[in-house]
Parts: sequence; C-alpha cells; structure tokens
Amino acid sequence: MNENIEQDLQKQLRKEAIRRNWNLFKQSKLGMIGLYIVIFFLFLALLQPFLFITGIWNKGVYDPVVGYEAIKDTLLVVECPKEYPTEKYESMKDCPGEGEINVKRLYLAPGVEVGDYYEAFIQPAPPSSRHLLGTDSLGRDVFSQIMEGSQVAFVLGLLSATLGVGISTILGTIAAFFGGRVDAYLMRQSDLILMLPSLPLLFIISAFAELKVWHLAVVLGVLGGLGGSVITIKSQALQVKVKPFVDSARITGGSRWRIMFSHVLPNVAPLALLFMVFSVTGAIASESVLSFLGLLNIDMSWGIMIYLSQTDGFIFSGLEFWWLILPAGLAVTLLAGGFYLVGRGLDDVFNPRLRKR
Amino acid sequence: MGEYIIKRTLQMTVVFFLFLVFSYLLFNAIPGNAFSNLLLNPDLPPDAYQKVLELYGLDKPLFERLQLYIVNFFKGDFGYSYKSFPKTPIELIAERLPRTLMLFAIVNIVSFYTGFFIGKILAWRRGSQSETWITLTSVFSYTVFYPWFALMMLWVFGYKLGWLPIGKFLYPEKWYDAPFDSDIVFSSMIKFTIVVSLIQFAAYLATRGIESLSSRRNLRFASLIAIFIGSYFYWNNGAALIKKPYAADIAYHMILPVMVVTIVAFAGTALLTRTTMMEVLKEDYILTARAKGISQKRIRDRHAARTALLPVVTSFIFTIVTIIDGSVLTEQIFSWPGMGQLLLQSVLEEDIPVAMACFSFVGVFALVAHLLADISYSYLDPRIRIKSQG
Amino acid sequence: MSKEVLSVKNLNMHYETLSGDVHAVKDVSFSVKEGESFGLVGESGCGKTSVAMSLLQLQADNAKISSGSIQLDGVELVGMNESELRKVRWDGISIVFQGAMNAWNPVVKVGEQIREAIREHYPEKSKAENTEKIESLFKMVGLDATVIDRFPHELSGGMKQRAIIALALSCDPKVVIADEPTTALDVVIQDQILKEIKKVQELLGLSLIYISHDIAVIAEMTNRMAVMYAGRIVESGPTADIFANPRHSYTKALLESTPSVVGDRVKLNSLDGEPPSLIDEISGCSFAPRCPNKTTTCKPELDMKLVEVGPEHYVDICSKESH
Repeated sequence: MNENIEQDLQKQLRKEAIRRNWNLFKQSKLGMIGLYIVIFFLFLALLQPFLFITGIWNKGVYDPVVGYEAIKDTLLVVECPKEYPTEKYESMKDCPGEGEINVKRLYLAPGVEVGDYYEAFIQPAPPSSRHLLGTDSLGRDVFSQIMEGSQVAFVLGLLSATLGVGISTILGTIAAFFGGRVDAYLMRQSDLILMLPSLPLLFIISAFAELKVWHLAVVLGVLGGLGGSVITIKSQALQVKVKPFVDSARITGGSRWRIMFSHVLPNVAPLALLFMVFSVTGAIASESVLSFLGLLNIDMSWGIMIYLSQTDGFIFSGLEFWWLILPAGLAVTLLAGGFYLVGRGLDDVFNPRLRKR
Repeated sequence: MGEYIIKRTLQMTVVFFLFLVFSYLLFNAIPGNAFSNLLLNPDLPPDAYQKVLELYGLDKPLFERLQLYIVNFFKGDFGYSYKSFPKTPIELIAERLPRTLMLFAIVNIVSFYTGFFIGKILAWRRGSQSETWITLTSVFSYTVFYPWFALMMLWVFGYKLGWLPIGKFLYPEKWYDAPFDSDIVFSSMIKFTIVVSLIQFAAYLATRGIESLSSRRNLRFASLIAIFIGSYFYWNNGAALIKKPYAADIAYHMILPVMVVTIVAFAGTALLTRTTMMEVLKEDYILTARAKGISQKRIRDRHAARTALLPVVTSFIFTIVTIIDGSVLTEQIFSWPGMGQLLLQSVLEEDIPVAMACFSFVGVFALVAHLLADISYSYLDPRIRIKSQG
Repeated sequence: MSKEVLSVKNLNMHYETLSGDVHAVKDVSFSVKEGESFGLVGESGCGKTSVAMSLLQLQADNAKISSGSIQLDGVELVGMNESELRKVRWDGISIVFQGAMNAWNPVVKVGEQIREAIREHYPEKSKAENTEKIESLFKMVGLDATVIDRFPHELSGGMKQRAIIALALSCDPKVVIADEPTTALDVVIQDQILKEIKKVQELLGLSLIYISHDIAVIAEMTNRMAVMYAGRIVESGPTADIFANPRHSYTKALLESTPSVVGDRVKLNSLDGEPPSLIDEISGCSFAPRCPNKTTTCKPELDMKLVEVGPEHYVDICSKESH
C-alpha cells in the first residue's frame, strides 16, 4: 500500500512542478512570442488536411503539388513603341500596362492583332479571393504550399532534433561519466564528424542517395548528434558529476549505469531540451538552404518554393512577384526564430539564476 | 601539458587516417566519375574513354586505388587534378586559400566584435523594452533565409543602387596591366592585417601593467593612432604603393560580403555572450565589485565580460574551424573564387585528388583548431590551468 | 563620549516581489560610535543582512527604502544618487562578506582586485604606493606578501577570509560591516580570524558592525548590540547589560538556547513555531505568537515602541506592559 501512496505523491509533485514551470515560462515575453508563432504554424500544418478531408477545399485545385487552377484574364493586345515617352507610356517599363499584353509576345497565337482582346493564362497569378496568396508558375495554390511546407518543417525539425539530441545526450553523459578511454574515443569520434565539411558532405550524400524528408531528418539528426554537441553536453554532465549527490548515490551502492540514468541524465535533461529546441531552428534553416540548392527530393517545402522561384527566374523580379518568394522566406525565418524564442523562454525556466524575480 | 599534446596528436593522427579512408570511399560512392561527361560527346572515338580512365588510374579496383592514395598521401604526393591537369591540388589550394582567408578573417573578426558588444549590452539591459527588441532583431536576422537575404542585398546595393560591386573580388578591367597576380596582393594584404593585429595585441599586453586607468586608455588609443599613421605611410611608399589600387579594389569588393555575413552571423555570438553574462552577473563577486564602488559600466566590461569571454572565445575558435565550410555558400553567391568554391566544385566534378586535398585541409584545420581551443580554454580559466599542470 | 559615526533612524525597507511587498526592515534605529563595535544578532531571515545591505544600498533592484535616514558622519545617505553612493562605498563604509569563497573574481589576481578598489577612490596614487599599502594590510591580517600575485582558488578558506578583511580595509573606511565573516570556517580558524578582526579594529580605531546569528561570538566581539526579530529591533543596548539583564522574551529565549560548556547537561529550551512571514503587515508585537510569557494583554492592535529600561538599554514593548 505504501507504494501506491508514494506513486500518487510523485505524480502530484510532478504535476505541481509542471504547473510551476509553465507559470515561469509565461513570464518570459520572448518565450511566449515564440510559442505563439509555433502554435500558429502548427495550426497551419493541421489546417490543410482538415480542409481537404472536410471537402472545403477541392483537392484537384488546391493540392500543393498537383493542384491546378487555370486563371485566365482578358487582356487588350497592344504594341509597344520603339521610343519613349509617348502619350500612354513614360518608359519601356510601363509597356505593356495593366490589363495589356504586347503583341510581340504572342508569336504562338497566330491571327491575333493589335486592338483585339486576348484570353491569357496568368501563371503565376497574384493573390485573389480564391487563392489567398496567389498561385505559382504551375498554377498551384501558394497558401496550400505554405501549409504543406509547415508540415514538412515540423516533421523534419522535430524528428532530426530529437534524434540528434538523444544521441548526443547519451554519448555526452557516457563520456563524462566513464572518462578515460571511453571519453577519448568519443571525443575523437565527434572530431571526425566535425572535420567533415557539412555542405559538401550533404551534396555527396544527395548524389548517391535519394533524400526525402525522413531520410534527410535522419541524416541531419545523426550528423548533428555525433558532432560538436557531444562535447557541450559532456561538459555539462561533468558539472553534474562533481555534485555531492552523485557521490552519495555511489556510496549507497548504485551501479554506474543506474546513477547515470536516474541521477545524471535528469539534470542534464534541461540543457538537452534547450539544445533540442535550438536544433529545430537549425534543421528548418538547413532544409531550406539545401532545397534552395536543389539537393533534395522533397515534393514541396518552403525551401523548394524558393528554389522554384529562383529557377523560374522570379527571384530578382523585385516586388512584382512577391508572393512567390516572400511568404516562403518569411515562414522559414519566423518558424525557425519562433523555436529559438521558445528555447529562450525555457532557458529562463531552467536557469533560475537568470530569472528576474 | 606536453604529455597531453603528444597523446592528443597521436590520437589525431589515427582519426585523420580514418578520415582519409572514409572520405575517399565517400567520393567513390558517387555514381559516375570525373570523365563521364566525355561520353556525351558523340564524336568520341570508341576507346578514348577507356584510355583516359587508364591514364588516371580510374580503371583499377577501388581497394587498390585507396591503398595507392593513402600511401602516396603520406609520402607527400597528392596527385594531379583531373580537371585542371597538370595542376596539382596544392597549387590550386595555394591559389585559392589567401582569398578565402582574407575575406573570412575579416568577416569573423567583425562579426565577433559586433556580437560580443551587442551581447554585453543585451545582458546589461535585462528586462527593459530595448532588450526585447534587440533580441527579436538578433534572432530574426540569425534565422533569415541566408541565400535569399544575400541575393537581396546584392540586388539592392549592387544593381539598384550601384554602390557596391556585384560579386567577384576584383574588376578585371582594372587588372589588365597589373604587374602582380592577385594572390600576391592578397598575401601582402593578409600580412598587413596580421602585423596590425599583432601590434594592437602587443600594445594591449604592454599596457596591462600600468596602474592608472586613464593613462592606460590613452596609451592604447595612441597606439591605434600610431597604427593608422603607420599604415598610411606603408601604403604610400615603395612596393606597397604600386599595390595600393589593387588592394583597394579587393577591399572594395569585400565590403558587401562582410556586411551581409556579419548581419547574419553576429546574433550567434551576441546571444551566447548574453547568456554567459547573465550567469556571471548573479555571482557574488559582482556584488563585491559593486560594494567597492565601481561603476556599473566598468563592472560590466572588466568583470562580467571578462569571464563571459571564455565560452565566446571557444566558440570563436570553433567558428574558425568552419570557415571553409561556411564559405561555400557565401562564395557561391558572391562569386568569390576561394577555397569554399574549390571544395564544392571539386566535389561536384568528382575531381577526386583536389576534393581529397580540400577535405584533408579542412580536416587538419578542424583537428588543430579543436586542440588549440582546448589549450586556450585552460589558459583563459586559471582554475583549469592549475589542474592540468598538477 | 565619543561621537557618533553612523546613525540609523526609523529605517524601513521592503522588497517588491510577485507575491507582494516583503517588509524586511521595519522601523530600525541604532547608532554606532567611533571606535566601538556594534553587534546585530538574530535568526536567519530576521533582516540583519538586509540592514547591512541597506547601509550601502547594495540590495537587489527590487528593494526600496521607503522611509528613514542613514547618516554617516552627518552626511545623509538615503536619497543619494548612484554616483554619489559609489564614492561612499568602500571609502566610507566597507563590508566583509559572508562566504569569502565566492566574493573573489576567479580569473583576476587577488592583489589586482584590491588595487582596483584603491584605484577607484584614489586614482592619483602610484603603483608603488598601492603595493606598499597592500603589503602592510596583509601583514596586519597575517598574510604573506606573495598572496598578491595569487589567484583566489590558490588560497585556503582562512587565507581568503583574511584577504577579504584586507580588501575591506584598503580604502581606510570609517565603518566596516562584518556579515557573518566566520560562518563558513572551522572553529580554530574562526577563533584566529576573530582575534585578527579585534586586533585590526583596535589598531586602526575603526567602527565595526558585526552581524551574526551566533550569540556567543557577539558576546565576545561587541561593545553594544541589538537583537532583531522579523525585521524589527526588539532589544538594544550595551552587550554586557543585555547579557546580564535581558528584558525581551525573545532575547531571553535566545540566550537560553546556547548550550553552556560548564555545568550539567540540560535540555535546551527552544521556541516553537516559526518567524512570521514578512509580507503581511503585522501590528502589535510580532513575537506574540511564539512568546512563552504571553499574557492576555498581548493583542495585535497594540502599538509598539522602544522604551528605555536602563542606561541606553532599549526594549521594544507594547504600550501596556513589559514582561
């Protein structure tokens, strides 16, 4: 019977602790801003399948990869003069104007003359009531793409971060705790990983292996976990190791493994949690850069969106085709930054010395 | 300490060996080889491809090639570049390295100082409005999508405003009748920067012993002025004078990349500094310093920042390790033909000797830097110093 | 009659926290004369460290002095701005902290840290002058001159504490506050340090404020003392007088709780209960809930004031009766 009471007590204490930590977290302005951002994007990620399942969105039109909406516009056919300024146009940039199309561009549509009205497909199309963020050059809804990218970002970020931090925490604690040859081996191992230049390495890997979201998550996670973070966790674990309670645990006869898992790990856990949150930031940023360079085999993600806009030549179009670049770029920045801010909030919770009051 | 270094070096050699093997196998895992695009040429005589492979030894089995490579490597023979035959990898690296070093040395120093400075301020203004805004700005400049941001800046400053050059590290027109190669100018610029830094550092050390704080500050300022005057004379006389316009051209091209990378990179250092300073500020000896009547500003700069320097310096050294890795992206975007570009190119073209040489360079660099970081950390924190000697 | 060097009148200080204002110092008044040693005694959390920190206004950001006056040699300290205060710190009043282990910056040499203090207040002094001064200070506290070039972690606990004393004396202050300077040390060293402090005080004619929870130490070191409870001073006067003739029930309980080395072994009398929370405003006698001599007249509404019961011997009692 005593066991049950003890367990109940433990559960209660844990609940108390969580509630207390949550209150502390709420105090951190930055942490809350980050949390709102993350929740917002999570909402977006979940919104998309919801819209599809409930039929509010027609998959044929709104699917981020294979959807298509033919947006047509009726344009007046004009001829742009050789010299400017004229009555209608100040400079070359003004011709053709809004609602107009230069006849010289219509070499594939014979029989069309100046003054006619021409129905053209406008791809990419600017935002409208049907497509909140417009469509890209293949007629796919940009807003849907953003939501898809949100899903990718979460899966990728959380998976690789968890994997990476899990590996480095266990390895770092082992290195700190067992010392000697084990430590030296693990340090050299992370040296080996550190030595490899990351971007070229990813280029190589993508050359002989197909990198889909899961694969990329595993690769990033393993590389991150075995690299420099082992060293950082190890130094933290070392600080815990010299605390008196570890000695007393040892004296009472605990085996090294048990001490490590029940005592040292829980104290290293806050730092590891922090690391994890910051790793998500890195993972999201990495994916977008890698997609931008064309290395990945993902169907759709924010990085892919920017990649496409670059290969289609829109990236230097200034503000004209902003919906092709800005939403995706902003999404990366915001979500990655949001996770970082959450990490800062957690920092305040776990490091009481840094708290205000 | 000596014993530690020897043991460490032995370990490093083993790791390096493994690294070589691993890299070589990795490169060979890529389908195709450096010459596979010869096959695209319809006019190619039937046995030409085979002959080329034989010439470069690419027809031998993998294991044999690996053995040959390792043996030759430790003899000092790094082979010839496949693509730029008969240049050796060493030549290529020697050509490219100064360019990367120059650019990224400046970039790292500038972003390190900026980050440290902002981090100090951030820690001191804890809880105020400005802390929130500065932090938000730092975080979002850190996570901004780098390729896009860099391209945007290029577009704005280079194309729209026309203030700064669009990529590359010099204007070829200006160099037509140059008596020098660009690497000569680069090496003299690097030497100049090193000398100036050393002089500053020496001045700092020399004035440490001076009692009065105001005269200490004045002397250091005076040394700064002296450096300015000295540089002025240096660049306007003799051999340096002839190099000046070329050096200026290069410097002009460095402005934009330095600016862009600093904006993105300073936040890392700033946030790290801030966190460490916060920990330090709660220490008792800060209270002692306050009780002694020392001003807040001085406590911040001489006590808190000093201790916060430790992890920041360590991270700085680690950043140096990743100079070449980090430069890959930047050099691509700004068309700065340095080591990073060489690395990437050789990997993409499967120019194995060059790729291996680049990887080895980065690898050794990383190992040595890690060792230096460990040593310098023990130097900066006297508590560890005693233990390692004991 | 020597003159008063430090005079504190009706000092009130509180900390602003999320749960409310914590009134750490309530209506505290005392004075320290030149060359005398004044003790401040009480249990943990009674406010004695808060008083000490208030003198130098070194408390944390959320601490506020709501009223009262602190005068050093006639100069009012309450209301001074930061830059004026900085001049007074260390030069006028210095403090020997509890736990010298952490009071030192670990990456700066000991000598340099002392020099820094001197430089702050006397920038015109030369390096040689300062070195001489530090060497003589070290000799006074029993430290070798080589300690100047050592780092703090190279010194033992006792050495660090002596160095802290040297640091506190480096600017020739008028008043030195010693906040539990020997709590972290073993009894042998404690004895040595206490003797050092006494010696130094007599040599330099300093005024000393000695803060401790150990009443035995106070008995040994001080001429006059005050007993604090829950932020108030409950009894104050000449040390010998208070020990011979304690009037407040808390003082009596405190004295009785110290075991005696001589005589039979008797069971120690300890008080039940805990000190009250300082967040609530307490009216009336704050000790009443725990007082073994409570009478029916000890009700919370009564006013408290200090009443003289002997030559300069004051007791905080309710206006109705004294026990």
